[in-house]
Amino acid sequence: MKMKKVTALVLSGMLAAGVLAGCGSSDGAAAPAASADTQSAPAKAPAAASTEAAAESTSQASEGGEVKGDGQTLTLALRSGTYADVIKDCLPDFESKYNAKTEVLELSEDDLHSKVALDASNSDGSYDLAMVDGSWMAEYTENGVLLPLSDYGYELDDDIIPATTTICYSDDKLYLAPYYGNVTVLLYNKQLAADADYDSGDKIASLDDIKKIADSAKAAGKKGFIYRGDTPNNTVVDFLPVLLSYGGWVIDENNQPTVNTDEFKKAMDFYKELVATGEAQEKDDLIASVDQGNGALGVGWPGWYTPTADTTADYCAITGAVEAGGETHNANVYGVWTLGVPANSQNKELAVELVKYLMDKDVQLSTIDNGGVPCRYSSLQNADVLARYPQYKVVCQALEGGVYRPVISQWTDFYTILGTEMGNILNDQKTTEEGLADAQSQLEELMSE
Amino acid sequence: MKAEGRITTASGNRRRFATAMAAPPFVILAVMTAYPLIFTVLYSFTNFQLLRKTVKFVGLKNYIKLFTNEYFLQSIGVTVKFTVFAVLFEVAVGFIMALFVESIHRERTAKILRVLLLVPYLLPSVTVALSWRMMLSPNYGIINRTLEALRLPVYNWFSDLHTALPMLILIDIWQNAPFVFLLLYAAMQSVPQSQYEAARMDGASYVQQVRFITVPGIAPVLALCALLRTIDSFRIFDKVNLLTGGGPANSTTTITQYLYAYGIKNLKFGFGSAGAIIMTLIVLVLSCLYIKKAVK
Repeated sequence: MKMKKVTALVLSGMLAAGVLAGCGSSDGAAAPAASADTQSAPAKAPAAASTEAAAESTSQASEGGEVKGDGQTLTLALRSGTYADVIKDCLPDFESKYNAKTEVLELSEDDLHSKVALDASNSDGSYDLAMVDGSWMAEYTENGVLLPLSDYGYELDDDIIPATTTICYSDDKLYLAPYYGNVTVLLYNKQLAADADYDSGDKIASLDDIKKIADSAKAAGKKGFIYRGDTPNNTVVDFLPVLLSYGGWVIDENNQPTVNTDEFKKAMDFYKELVATGEAQEKDDLIASVDQGNGALGVGWPGWYTPTADTTADYCAITGAVEAGGETHNANVYGVWTLGVPANSQNKELAVELVKYLMDKDVQLSTIDNGGVPCRYSSLQNADVLARYPQYKVVCQALEGGVYRPVISQWTDFYTILGTEMGNILNDQKTTEEGLADAQSQLEELMSE
Repeated sequence: MKAEGRITTASGNRRRFATAMAAPPFVILAVMTAYPLIFTVLYSFTNFQLLRKTVKFVGLKNYIKLFTNEYFLQSIGVTVKFTVFAVLFEVAVGFIMALFVESIHRERTAKILRVLLLVPYLLPSVTVALSWRMMLSPNYGIINRTLEALRLPVYNWFSDLHTALPMLILIDIWQNAPFVFLLLYAAMQSVPQSQYEAARMDGASYVQQVRFITVPGIAPVLALCALLRTIDSFRIFDKVNLLTGGGPANSTTTITQYLYAYGIKNLKFGFGSAGAIIMTLIVLVLSCLYIKKAVK
């Protein structure tokens, strides 16, 4: 009987301990309490921690020169698709040169954003390098998620297209390195464009030209302009080149919303007419439509499609003019995937070495054959590259005249509100005036929070 | 006296042993259910944003914001519409499937059919969603191609205001009707055959047998199916998120999709928690009504 009792107690104790073992709270985790104005105390401010480590590492680097690993494993959180593939191709060489191992986690955009953010509350981070979308920059730097790369002796060189570097700095410190030059381009079907007398991308010089091709395709029983209406983010991003061409933008210099302006209304009315020639489709369908000639054109990204002389589709830069010969604007929206090192990385020095390695001119040039789009003149203006991939001329132009989405910490909320109201307008649930007025008031409330 | 003492000790030991044995599940339940629930309730009264270091008590602000937001109210409407249609059709289709398999007398055929009919339910929701997305693609989807070949009108199923929600309901029925079938088919096995024989001798038609013997015989299981499917349908997220993202124009935004877009994606867990509590309460009320009805 006594034995039974002891066994039962031991068993239940072990079970309880087993359950509780996984529940240890991390030092830096913010535990909210339901009392007024309570403030959680993180174990160590990430910025302070990184500065200390930087000082330590700088001395190490100056003594030992290039940082080498001792067989440790770096964990990379990357955006899945071509963006991750080009990095994965470079890793074996890095591993052998730096005596390190790497593990790659390929994630969707939303998962990448939330996983890096969730991990930031731990004192010992799970990731050593993360791909970061430019629009997350404000949110991440305001909250100490990223390591200042400049503290670890890394600076961007002059070969990188200057416009792509604008969001990489905060308080004069470098946090991000522009890696994959994603920028909106106009994806079009060559035959349907030629049917409308546009036999080359260079001739598509304005929004009017885009509309003419879309109208011509519609008249021929095809879909004209295809847009991504599946999520608020895609709805907004596909529209931004049109808005920029009309000289509008979503916020002013004081970060106040400007979505109920004359420029915005004109751009929205034009976009409504344009999308009426086609329909909303998700990304894979959009590419298939344009490639198969079921649809004439749509806004795309270089990472989606590799045009060659034999392909039925091609892409060109969006010129930013409403009509031929009219005023032009920077109208190509960046979706550049940058590289950053989380402030709580456990291998900071080596992770920065990996950033340096991946951003190296020659390494970046070598990624082109695998679908890489470096933000570098030496890659995009290379004669050999242009002979094989002439579309990089267009990409380079688009990157030079590109615009980042607003670097505000509320951007996720911002595009959700705006995209929802735009969806209502495009689906005739609200008039342009009603939708934009509603969006403006909601966004003003958001920005005042 | 001595014997009485031994009995008291033995019963005391039994109680202690029972308590010790019951302790682990209680601990697990407390850690896995009560702890997250309490924290969700606490979060719902704060402005907790994952990346921010400060957390402020905001009282009922999150709840007020939700109930004054037209899109949240719209999402409740969409969820209710989705749940009502999905549950009704899933129960009806599952019931017809069960009757059909029950009516097959060749055991081997019935066995094969049982397995085949269950396949959709065994597939992960993500696989189901992606398969249907391919089949319904406006470019390469087999469904539009077939409709074109038959000279019937084709649709952009997930981007059309009129077809997006019905397609989501249809896919949910396709996947979950087999679950209802499984439970009802098992319940039908317990209805005494003698009742059917007596009915047949009295000249009852097949429809009358179903109406007056089968349905009353499996009524508690029918109610259980409806309850389980209601709870599950109310929480629908994966299919909506993968296939429509809540669009077009919010016409497929369910409560969970709304909470994901406005509370989880932007890491505003305080706001998201308030929505989750509201959803839990709605499901709880619905479940209580069902259980009350079923017990009667």
